[in-house]
Amino acid sequence: MKVLRWICILLFMMVTLVPFVWLILSSFKTNQELFSAPFALPDKWMIENYEKVLTSHPIPHYFLNSTFIAIVSTLIGVVLATLVSYAFMYSFKFKAGWLLIITFGIFIPTNAFIVPYYFIVNWLGFYDTLFGVALVYAGVSLPLCILIVKTYMDSIQKELLEASFIDGAGVHRSFISVILPISYPGMTTASIFLIITAWNELLFASLLTQSEGTRTLQVAIRFFLSTFSANYPVAFAAMVIAVIPTIVIYSLLSEKIISGLTAGAVK
Amino acid sequence: MTSRQIYLYLVPALLFTVVFFIFPLAYVLFVSLQEWDGLSGMNFVGLDNFRYLFEDAAFKTAMVNTMYWILAGTLLHTPLGLLLALLLFSKPKGWKWLRTLFFLPNVISTTALAFLWYFVLHVSLGLVNNSLKGVGLESWARPWLSDPSMSVFASMIPFVLYIGFTMVIFLTQMSTISQEFYEAAEIDGATRAQMDWHITVPLVKSAIGINIIFNTAYCLRMFEYPLLMTGGGPADSSINMSLFIYREMISANRYGISMAAGLMTIVMGTIMMGIVFGSLRLSERRRPR
Repeated sequence: MKVLRWICILLFMMVTLVPFVWLILSSFKTNQELFSAPFALPDKWMIENYEKVLTSHPIPHYFLNSTFIAIVSTLIGVVLATLVSYAFMYSFKFKAGWLLIITFGIFIPTNAFIVPYYFIVNWLGFYDTLFGVALVYAGVSLPLCILIVKTYMDSIQKELLEASFIDGAGVHRSFISVILPISYPGMTTASIFLIITAWNELLFASLLTQSEGTRTLQVAIRFFLSTFSANYPVAFAAMVIAVIPTIVIYSLLSEKIISGLTAGAVK
Repeated sequence: MTSRQIYLYLVPALLFTVVFFIFPLAYVLFVSLQEWDGLSGMNFVGLDNFRYLFEDAAFKTAMVNTMYWILAGTLLHTPLGLLLALLLFSKPKGWKWLRTLFFLPNVISTTALAFLWYFVLHVSLGLVNNSLKGVGLESWARPWLSDPSMSVFASMIPFVLYIGFTMVIFLTQMSTISQEFYEAAEIDGATRAQMDWHITVPLVKSAIGINIIFNTAYCLRMFEYPLLMTGGGPADSSINMSLFIYREMISANRYGISMAAGLMTIVMGTIMMGIVFGSLRLSERRRPR
């Protein structure tokens, strides 16, 4: 039985991970070698492929663009979600109705909104800016973000809030010194979710930016295919360079990312 | 406790909801009834855009293919994620490390995976065809992504295989199951497979539901794989809703048609979610626990 389990795991690893190894090996070959000896180790390791990419493409710049968008959209999304979740700890008129309004977007395939988003971002004057993209990401992810943070806050005992009021703290004081400090697992989960979503996104980034200065990593990868179509190994090298920082950061934080992704969801 | 001050906390999110959901929804409805190139004036055409869509072969293919995507998410991607979670849940040596490894593709980005698999499935230099050649199955080699009869299925392969996120959701719920169940089963002489099937799977039912909902929503928005791997082709055979909407707006400048298709995607999403929620509720009623 145990053997069978390991066979399954290894088989799965092979299918999903061998392509990465193949890509890395191929990125050191010449175009000719790629076709003639697809599995062999490179005859001569073509470091030049990497040099070519690094001298012609500002990949670190794209990486910073993506990082900026991920951080800004996450900050906006999590702050808004936390504020509104706090409001829902109180009772007020039409509470269920308000909740429905701010979360119904979860069920909307937002790719249907490319025309309105394009014009909204234009009207706001944020077309072809990183902030415009971040704003849209925050908006699109907000309903799910609210649901994550609110579910967590719902588990906080109401007595804490009441006690804080008895101690003389008002609505704002109670939020900052009582609720906020114990809500961070929910906020962490929402943040990780938002960062991964923002990091991955291609459609809106392609739609809302145009110049090379605002290109995100994903948009850049999209263009690798056409830019390097004459020399595939160079395209592979570009790809390796584009994903290495992500892999390094992930391998340093993977435990935190995976546990944080679900920390706020399970109580 | 009530207080007027709490509306201050509600307003920012509400503002965002108006800007990013309520207004866009109204705008989509409005534009879907217009003939418009995005620059000059709009021309009201009633339901003509929808009439056009239902006679358009590419749109029909896009709808059918999007359904295929959703089916693949429900019937292949989710069960595979469950299977892998079960394998790791039996805590083989280094399972944490394996979990990290299997989640890695999810942070690398869909675009990068699409790029990678474009080459893996490439007709002449691809890993798949060259492997087949290597083991003497040359006749099995295919132009996977450029054969209209399988391009859409070929472009789903990376989505079906990279199950990191789904797996993590399953593993999380599995970790909340009380060990007592397994200890009792062990005393009764149950095998690991029996425990998986009779204890773990029924107890992660809500995670199955969550994953199906997530994956259905994801497939409705699917954009990267078709765009990079096939571009929707050959001859529109692998186009889906996202790509259709995008193409009508960006390449064809037919904003009215694009948004009519957008509205159809929203309708489709609503129906699909209705079906998913309905069947989840039904399955809950059938086996009370």
